[in-house]
Amino acid sequence: MFSNLDNIRPGLKALVSALREDYPYASVLAVEDSWRRWSVSRQGVNIDASGFGGGSGYVVRVFDGVGCAEYSFNRFSKESIPEIKALIAGRLAAQNKALGDIDPLPTPIPSDEPAVLSKQCAYKLDPRELGDEAIIDRLSGIRTKALGLDERIMEAQVSMAHRAYRKVFISENRDLDQTYMWTTCSMAMMVSRGQELKYAFKSSSNLGGAEVLEQVEDGLDSVAKSAIDLLDSEPIPPGEYDCVCDPDTTGMIVHEAFGHGVEMDMFVKDRALGREYIDKYVASGLVTMHDGSTVLEAATMAFDDEGTLTGDTVVIDRGILKTGMCDALSAARLGVSPTGNGRRESYERKAYTRMTNTYFEAGSNTMEEMISSIDYGFLLQQPSSGMEDPKNWGIQCMVTIAREIKDGRLTGKIFSPIVLTGYVPDLLKSVSMMGGEVELAGGGFCGKGYKEWVKVSDGGPCMKVRIRLG
Amino acid sequence: MIERIKSALKDCGIVLWRINDNTEESAELFFVKKQLDTRRFKDVRKFQVTVFRDVDKDGASLRGFTSVTLLESMSDSQLREELKGAYYAAQFAANPAYELPDPVQAPIKEKSGELCQAPLAESAGKMARALFSADSQSDAFINSAEIFIIRSKRHILSSEGTDVSYTDGKVTGEFVAQCREPEDVEIHNMFSYDSLNTEALGRKVKESLSFVRDRARAKRILKSGKYDVVLSGDAVASVLSYYDSRSSAHMIYPKYSTWQAGDSVQGEDVPGARLNLDLCATVPYSEEGIPMEDLPLLREGKLQAIHGNNRFCRYLGIKPTGMYGKLRCTNTGASFEELKSGPCLWAVTFSGFEMNAMSGHFGGEIRLAYLIDGGTVTPVTGGSINGSLLEAQGNLQFSSDRYEAANYSGPYGLRINGVSVAGTDD
Repeated sequence: MFSNLDNIRPGLKALVSALREDYPYASVLAVEDSWRRWSVSRQGVNIDASGFGGGSGYVVRVFDGVGCAEYSFNRFSKESIPEIKALIAGRLAAQNKALGDIDPLPTPIPSDEPAVLSKQCAYKLDPRELGDEAIIDRLSGIRTKALGLDERIMEAQVSMAHRAYRKVFISENRDLDQTYMWTTCSMAMMVSRGQELKYAFKSSSNLGGAEVLEQVEDGLDSVAKSAIDLLDSEPIPPGEYDCVCDPDTTGMIVHEAFGHGVEMDMFVKDRALGREYIDKYVASGLVTMHDGSTVLEAATMAFDDEGTLTGDTVVIDRGILKTGMCDALSAARLGVSPTGNGRRESYERKAYTRMTNTYFEAGSNTMEEMISSIDYGFLLQQPSSGMEDPKNWGIQCMVTIAREIKDGRLTGKIFSPIVLTGYVPDLLKSVSMMGGEVELAGGGFCGKGYKEWVKVSDGGPCMKVRIRLG
Repeated sequence: MIERIKSALKDCGIVLWRINDNTEESAELFFVKKQLDTRRFKDVRKFQVTVFRDVDKDGASLRGFTSVTLLESMSDSQLREELKGAYYAAQFAANPAYELPDPVQAPIKEKSGELCQAPLAESAGKMARALFSADSQSDAFINSAEIFIIRSKRHILSSEGTDVSYTDGKVTGEFVAQCREPEDVEIHNMFSYDSLNTEALGRKVKESLSFVRDRARAKRILKSGKYDVVLSGDAVASVLSYYDSRSSAHMIYPKYSTWQAGDSVQGEDVPGARLNLDLCATVPYSEEGIPMEDLPLLREGKLQAIHGNNRFCRYLGIKPTGMYGKLRCTNTGASFEELKSGPCLWAVTFSGFEMNAMSGHFGGEIRLAYLIDGGTVTPVTGGSINGSLLEAQGNLQFSSDRYEAANYSGPYGLRINGVSVAGTDD
């Protein structure tokens, strides 16, 4: 798979050597990408193989007398090295001139410690071997089954997406090579209440191949039940409630409410309150939070898009904020070690500090214990979206379903849609029970602000917490 | 490369196809405060090839398609391999047959203006100076910013004879305004222009710095309840995008939307503004090579047209319009000052404002709002809005002040009465 990079690799090394003649640092990240998405719905059957993000290409990073600069392109051969070198020099000169007296942000050149690595992820069933026909047949079968569960289900959308990629990073001292793949599968069932369409969904993901299809098939009945339940849902009376978060909702809180606030490029910009809370309590002692690639999920990788090796970052240790996640440039500016979180949407985009697989550690409670401990509150399910506020630690997360709990039991009543608000440390300090089983979900993508979409996973166990709902 | 692709298509026996030859170059600047963080440049060219395949299944005529992206660095055998794979897949993505877009041939449409002619680096420098021109006070300032100057060329060819091309240019970016006292807060802003609109960017910075000063002194005193809410700027565009979505062929064909031309989509009882909306063409041709023209969408609340890509429009038996990227609202009303003169909550910025076209719900967490009551104006923060446009759409009130953005042109202000707000001070 991805043999093109084997042929190009000597040329990439020559490119880095040639650039090092003019610049104190030079590196190149080469990406070869294979993407396919299959979907079946009332809109029809669709297979798209036109590329994920930017697809295949290259990004060069150099440091000149001003600072860091990058050039993204997708045409390369060994013969084109002099042309690329001249182009970078010309563009930099023109840009520096046009910027006039704007000062650069002082940035030490990041460390380029020697590293050689070649890694591939394991998988059970490569979707390309399974084939388009079998995949569409399988998705169609799942859809037919879903529509047959209840006549009130007006639509079932089923899709599977797969990305396999190879990334090669070359600098003067590093030669890194990784080939990974992730596959996601999602099912949404739709019901209508007049003009209002409501839907319940389930997505599954893995670091691997089409074996993920099993997970979606297993969840059909619960998605159908949620969709039907939504027909009788109503808006929630705003207020602060005891809540049980299912693992997906815990994951959204981990990621949106807290994770973005400890992306350390935000520390450089003075945009994150988290910087002031290092070694301080920000959460209940039940909370330990990780980010990294020691778990196998959709965002697992051996090295990031700046050539930093990945690992496990313990962000919160029993309630105490220990560190953030950091890309290489921000680490150089802050005088800390990078954590392997420098990620790009594609070779066409800048690297930012980004989360990978982010989750809370397990505790010892069960969901039943949590529900039975609540006089009046809600079980929150199916997070739909969230937005970060690292500066002020405000929460904005939305979930589709809040199931009413009264006197320690689910009443069957449902409220929807639900907006979660409040102050992040208040919420995390209110965690009073933590479930015993961690579940990670990587069905979605994460944006930085409103763009720069990268694959992430997040999760944790179910947890009991007090949250303001509206 | 086009000839190589055509040759490969022929070798593979593919007779129905479309090639989108997309070239893009950019200059990108990233700032922390007023210091330069990173410079980036981009030169990419991609050939997205869509292959169509006709199949008969149980006596029905079907047509499937699959798209792949080809690069100039690929060998001829690689091109054939990719196209063969796509053609093979297309038979399994078969849907009811439909006609491809009518052929169009025209000389290249070159966008004129400084943005498309000046060196990218110069344009980036100019926008950077415009960005920082309004950043002159120490209490409220630009925390960080990104500027993207992008020039593109699109060439669309098809087996049916379409051969059109155009050039385009745009300026996009974002900046974060920060104020440290009395509370350290920020407001995130995005911008997008189709010209080197230095004046608009300067105005936006100035307005945002003013808002962030107010957010710094805003109190978390919003009580839960029903409010007459005034939205402004991008949030208005977001609410009105509901009508764009619900009238699109890809929503109507699968019956996610039941709208038909002539429907009074706001209902029959409309004491408020009856909507007048147009869809605006922002490029000369759609991705499928369909010539784009402005399209009346709603007149006095009645749906004038269904719009969308070729396949879904053909299924509905209407003329394909292409996919639009801009909505214009010609409704007007009192001045914005009058619109927010009665007791109301003017929600200025959100952490993320969402309009769900499926459910009709809109909302978001409030970063800055002004609680206006009996002549007193109190900046507030926190809490969230959770409204239903299905319930509110009969009683919309617009301002006469206009707002222009890349995806919207229309009233700056929109007043919606009786919206549920979850407060912070119960």
